[in-house]
Amino acid sequence: MRTVYKVLAYIVAAEVIVQAMMIAWAVAGLGLWVDGGGVFDKSVMESEQVPFTEVAGIIVHGLNGGLVIPVLALLLLISSFFAKVPGGIKFGALVFALVAVQTTLGYAGHGLPVAGLLHGGNALVLFATALYTARRVGRATAEPSAEPARDQVAAQG
Amino acid sequence: MPRIRQARLAVAVTATLLIVGPLAWLWQDSLLPQAYSIMSMGYADRGGGADGGHDGHGGHGGHDVTALVADRDRPADVSLTLTARQERFRLASGRTVDGYTLNGGSPGPTITARAGQLVQVRLVNDNVRDGITLHWHGVDVPNAEDGVAGVTQDAVRPGGEFVYRFVAPAPGTFWYHSHQVSHEQVARGLFGALMVLPPEPPATDVVALTHLYDGVRTINGDSGDLHAAAAPGTVARVRLINSDNGPTSAWVAGAPFRLVAVDGTDVHGPTPVSDASVLVTAGGRADLEIAMPDSGAPVRVQIGGALSVVLGAGEPPRVAQPAKALDPLGYGAPAPLAFDPGAADRVFRYEIGRRPGFVNGRPGMYWTINGHLYPDVPMYTVAEGDVVRMTIVNASSEVHPMHLHGHHAVVLSRNGVRATGSPWWFDSLNVGDGERYEIAFVADNPGIWADHCHNLKHAADGLVAHLMYEGYTTPFVLGAKTGNSPE
Repeated sequence: MRTVYKVLAYIVAAEVIVQAMMIAWAVAGLGLWVDGGGVFDKSVMESEQVPFTEVAGIIVHGLNGGLVIPVLALLLLISSFFAKVPGGIKFGALVFALVAVQTTLGYAGHGLPVAGLLHGGNALVLFATALYTARRVGRATAEPSAEPARDQVAAQG
Repeated sequence: MPRIRQARLAVAVTATLLIVGPLAWLWQDSLLPQAYSIMSMGYADRGGGADGGHDGHGGHGGHDVTALVADRDRPADVSLTLTARQERFRLASGRTVDGYTLNGGSPGPTITARAGQLVQVRLVNDNVRDGITLHWHGVDVPNAEDGVAGVTQDAVRPGGEFVYRFVAPAPGTFWYHSHQVSHEQVARGLFGALMVLPPEPPATDVVALTHLYDGVRTINGDSGDLHAAAAPGTVARVRLINSDNGPTSAWVAGAPFRLVAVDGTDVHGPTPVSDASVLVTAGGRADLEIAMPDSGAPVRVQIGGALSVVLGAGEPPRVAQPAKALDPLGYGAPAPLAFDPGAADRVFRYEIGRRPGFVNGRPGMYWTINGHLYPDVPMYTVAEGDVVRMTIVNASSEVHPMHLHGHHAVVLSRNGVRATGSPWWFDSLNVGDGERYEIAFVADNPGIWADHCHNLKHAADGLVAHLMYEGYTTPFVLGAKTGNSPE
């Protein structure tokens, strides 16, 4: 279960990279399309019919952020209950909370652009936290004091 | 030590169940029945009105909506057959689209009638697998002619047909479209224009139905500009129809214009406008009239940034969208209403929000009505003759073009600012994020009517409620097993 926990945390971090790539790709594609005479308006935005390939970036970003990453974060949190990683639940919960904040900011950005500004910043916080959560697994368990630390977690749980 | 391990495992399992349990419950609770009646959906909202005695909501008995038709014995004045096909077709501009056609093309033929004429349309489904219907958007038809699958009729299966009959209303611009799997069928071509001509139409009278096919903007199915002859000194009318899921803006270069009608209803005392754009909401219509310059210079009506209607000879330059948008709230001259919105019999609230949850087992960020997810939404219940007031509030971060079937409503105020211009009658209202509209209408067309978002994807995700008249019932059902899927 410890491996599952570790891998899930790595996947969340990797997903943040995917999200950043997708949205940058979409914006670049939009720029090129407008440059070629395309007009982007609300109807195009609401249309599922893709006027340029890179719009796929927006769709992937939405699916990933709205569904896949929250589910991954939830699974990470659940796996933390069983993983016996010292402090693992705390970090699992932190990643989950950051994902919740990130999703909320993402949707709020539709009506309140400043939320989008924070969405960009929180992405990096989430990335760093997920990465740290994954990397500390080996370290935390390799410590000589691993056994008592684990008992502490149990007591907390 | 084993005991500690066991305790730890028990705590972990309990914590997991505490998270997964409620999610599983929410998931199963959201599953829709395979077949259900719209009358059993959600909860009755009587808007402060009295209970009509016989429960129209979920009750049995009462008048069947299928009896609500136009005079059966009256012969038709305008009669035509529309045959729908699912096929790959070519737009006027040569582009091919995988979608739906009516009489071999998309948009379908423009239906033209005069006020008071009886229009009869025979809809034939050649091969559209999911079934089809036709809804007469903006025409307050008798309920049985409204074309909503599972509510006013069964979807017309391949090989089947259905005859729609209604009396053409006062002159104006309308359109028709499928109301079966509409988020798919409308986007891919099952629609057309309907106009009711005034007794003396202007010299130039142009329908400009704008639609995106595969992301490409078109006017009347052509991805190029629409050119129309218009002699100097004459009046030209351009009927803008927006069949998409999002609002679009139009503006005029080369001459002032007047916004002479909104959603098929004439504006009272429209004044010339030269420095503002007109917003046409999804499903909405706006009729512009332009006095062609005596100089013979052409006029360009730009629809969005991409396409134009060019009136007269030549190629007038494109101009950027004006910074200002014409606000119908204060446009035109006031006129008395035929009813008193202050003496409302029913007062409703239609508040749109958004939250995570499940609809029919699918997780996502869904639209809510008064805090509830579909199908647990209000059934606005009225009695015939009631004056109804409704507050529409949008707190969902995105715009919603709200469309009430079978009625035209009038805007009383927006964000607390009272309407001061011409009575602003509408059937499709652009409710932006953070906006609050007070509207009113007379419940004078009995039946069961959808009141939904005309961003048809939003409707498919559950942003749909109904207006129900006490004492009326529908025999039709919807759901996966029934083949009726109106949105």
